Amino acid sequence: MSRIPASGICIPAQHAVSRRGFMSDGAIRAAGAVTVAGCFASDMGQIHALRSEEVASELRKQDKHVILLWLAGGASQFETWDPKPGAKTGGPFRAIQTNATGVHISELLPELAQRMQHTAIIRSLNTKIADHGRGADLMETGRLKDPSILYPDLGAVVARELGRLESKVPDYVSLYTSTEGRRKGTSGFLGARYAPMFLSESMIPPNIARLETVSEIDHHDRAALRDALGRRFAASRRSHTVDSQNSAYQRVHGLMASAELFDITQEPAEMQARYGPTQFGHQCLIARRLIEAGVPFVKVARAWWDSHGQNFETHQELCADLDHSMSVLLDDLEQRGLLKNTLVITLGEFGRTPEINSSLGRDHFASAWSCSLSGLGIRGGVAYGKTDPEGHTVVEGEASAADLFATILSALKIDHKHEYTVGARPVPLADFGSKPIAEVLS
Amino acid sequence: MLSHMGIFCPCHLLVFVLYASNVANSQELLPADTEISNAINHYVQQHLVTSGVAAVEPADDLTLLRRASLDLAGRVPTSVERDWFMNQPPSDRRRLLVDRLMESPDFDFHQRNWLDETLLPNQPYNDEFRSYLLTAVQGRRSWDTVFRDIMKASHAEGPDKGAAQFLKSRVRELDDLTNDTAILFFGVNISCAKCHDHPLVADWKQDHFYGMQAFFQRTYQTRKTSSVAERPFGEVKFANVGGESRTAAFMFLTGEVVADRTPQLPDEERKQLEERVRKLEHDDAEAEIIVPEFRPRDELVELALHDTQDRFFARNIVNRVWARLLGTGLVDPPDQMHSGNAPSHAELLEWLTGDMVSHGYDLRRLIHGIVLSEAYGRSSEWTSGSEPPAASTFALAHTRPLTPRQLGASLHLVIGSPEQWPAVANTEEWTKRRTDLENQANGWVREFEQPGENFQIAVDEALFFSNSSRVQDDLLRDSDDRLLGQLKKIEDQSQGIEKLWLAVLNRVPQTDELASATTWLDHVPDKRDESRKQLLWAILAGPEFRFNH
Repeated sequence: MSRIPASGICIPAQHAVSRRGFMSDGAIRAAGAVTVAGCFASDMGQIHALRSEEVASELRKQDKHVILLWLAGGASQFETWDPKPGAKTGGPFRAIQTNATGVHISELLPELAQRMQHTAIIRSLNTKIADHGRGADLMETGRLKDPSILYPDLGAVVARELGRLESKVPDYVSLYTSTEGRRKGTSGFLGARYAPMFLSESMIPPNIARLETVSEIDHHDRAALRDALGRRFAASRRSHTVDSQNSAYQRVHGLMASAELFDITQEPAEMQARYGPTQFGHQCLIARRLIEAGVPFVKVARAWWDSHGQNFETHQELCADLDHSMSVLLDDLEQRGLLKNTLVITLGEFGRTPEINSSLGRDHFASAWSCSLSGLGIRGGVAYGKTDPEGHTVVEGEASAADLFATILSALKIDHKHEYTVGARPVPLADFGSKPIAEVLS
Repeated sequence: MLSHMGIFCPCHLLVFVLYASNVANSQELLPADTEISNAINHYVQQHLVTSGVAAVEPADDLTLLRRASLDLAGRVPTSVERDWFMNQPPSDRRRLLVDRLMESPDFDFHQRNWLDETLLPNQPYNDEFRSYLLTAVQGRRSWDTVFRDIMKASHAEGPDKGAAQFLKSRVRELDDLTNDTAILFFGVNISCAKCHDHPLVADWKQDHFYGMQAFFQRTYQTRKTSSVAERPFGEVKFANVGGESRTAAFMFLTGEVVADRTPQLPDEERKQLEERVRKLEHDDAEAEIIVPEFRPRDELVELALHDTQDRFFARNIVNRVWARLLGTGLVDPPDQMHSGNAPSHAELLEWLTGDMVSHGYDLRRLIHGIVLSEAYGRSSEWTSGSEPPAASTFALAHTRPLTPRQLGASLHLVIGSPEQWPAVANTEEWTKRRTDLENQANGWVREFEQPGENFQIAVDEALFFSNSSRVQDDLLRDSDDRLLGQLKKIEDQSQGIEKLWLAVLNRVPQTDELASATTWLDHVPDKRDESRKQLLWAILAGPEFRFNH
């Protein structure tokens, strides 16, 4: 392997191992001097850390996770969680009895109706903002946009609260492959460390795989050389920003090792078939693989629910996909013992109008709409809140975006009143005055 | 507009320490004809003495060359520039360098880029706006003229048309027009005064927010031509905390109000006018744009430029230019200029603001003065084990991340053949090369994040450098026209390493660096070309190249 000459410079004995073992973290770090000395050894082992059963079970033990199924464009509460059959606003579909006594949902979600033991429905969201951009700002961050401060979205907050600093896996992954309504998500004042790994063009994150023209050993060695040569500069110019560059490079190899998590062909054919055949289903399977490996937050967006025309056909198609994919996901999580650690949220930027317009569509509506929470920390089989018989207003249990965020954080056992300090300004995790909905929490 | 007032106002319960206002009395200021850099030196030094902080040593010449090149030319220096610089008399080197850089076409590109990044941060490729800004900067238009152009939003064809993009990109959101104008041109954030008087900043009342909004409420976009226009009527109504409905006056931040001189028309005529505006706004048919007699945005410009008391407009740009060059504003954050957030150097800000106004809002003059100051020229290194001095003392230079365009241009410059750049900046060939470089830099903007407050470098960037074919196959190519290609031909290993260090980091390697690089290249002798690529990669991806220091 390597030999360490008196000069302290470690030269590999043979070409086959190239410069592996060329440098040592410890020796170079000493006094910030740029000496390429000693041997670096451990990193190669870490590449395959994810494959180790021991590590995986360690991660599983302590982790809590969130999967956000983002219904981009705004799903209709009438055709999902709050059906009003027979009302003039109700549309053509029936309501069906679920396996939770007294709880009915749209007939477009028959599989989910049989899994209500995991799920609580909130039917009383009144979030007021009914345009896509600002509605998404509100439902992604739990508060109104404010020009003086950039708020982090839920994924970034969860990544920060549940992720581990030295994590080898990404802590916030966002899959958004359709173009309608695509938004990257933002870590705001929490900084780029908690920004999502964003997949928009393909199912594999960009730049996560090593180029074939660079050998694995060279890839590691040049990274170690980068660290060594940059150390003195960084040590004498310590700042949040300068340090962040090094932290980013330190995470590269861990993240590269997680590339395989995005490869669903590593799943048995039977498993792929269960989640199939839609892209959304495949992405739900990726989400499961990610959280199983320790990723705290995964968002999977399904677009485009914005049914200004032909609302009912749109929902027939999209609800079938949601119903199947989410049901398989819940079953799979449960069978793997992950559902008790994983909160599954279905949410969009708003709901849809009670009125059916002349194109048989429903328009944007944020005054009385629904979402659902399943799994970790949730009391299943509950339908919380109530809208009037035609679905125009909330008549019971009105909840704001901030209340929903307080509820989500409470389900994760994160103190929603905990405050970040931004400059001199305290920013609580869920907005001031918010209150968790105790009725849906277990 | 009133739909969600008071529901989730984001700003209550702020904690703030109110400072006594210590804005200096202008009579005590240094004489107006003091050189800008001397005025800066005087006030910064005074502050250091008062706070018992010692400044670090000046940066060495090569560090300063790199810093000033990045700040004034938007890129690292070429080897020809370095040779020229080192041949100047040491006593006058810095001034000659600054003059030379500011006369180069590079300055205009970079100044344009800075204005673009500041004013349209979410649209890095708005060609119309960028082309307007370049015209304005090349024509040496003063800052008040640029402000006029932007607020006027002319729809006439021509080089100034792009100025309208500032308003156009925000025209759908009246709150954005209001807040962004206040933040970017006046350095104040009045958004918290929307729902109620500002809870902490005594200066800002609801009347200020809606007063500012009144100047934009009539602004709309025509449907057919997508022009920014103004309705000849319209007012802002708002409910105060007591629920009382009020009509907003056209009121500037100083409290000064301009009378509403909207012509009173007979009902019939007014209805016709309303109908014409409605069509312009909503119909596809072509129609002549109505230019009203009373134009609130023009009124805003006049009020802002005649504000001789608070001088929001001038103070804001002074503070922003300062923050750009020194890493932290005299008022920080730059959108919080109010009596509760005192400047670190109140007299200096006053003096510079006075200079800005009396010299016709000439940004070049201010930039020139700042870059020649002692504070700008200090070292950024802090080797002592103790805590470094507070940023607001300017005792130590800030280490600042490069913008995407600075980084893109610098990457292209160093991996090519920097030696082939001509010696004199003002030649046709230079302009052509620099224009090409600017276009190449444009192609990298999406790969890097624009630095902002509390900026962190994302792992995406590290992954990009580590694994993208763009880096591996383009930046690290070793054909003859590239730095790597030239290094291949140098027999003497140490000489090659020195050339690499000079080209990329603008300095010679230290002894231990030279030893490490030599070991790196030597010990797999049959793969030396590959090793050299890796060495280049390691310093391109390292912190010294990534930051302006």
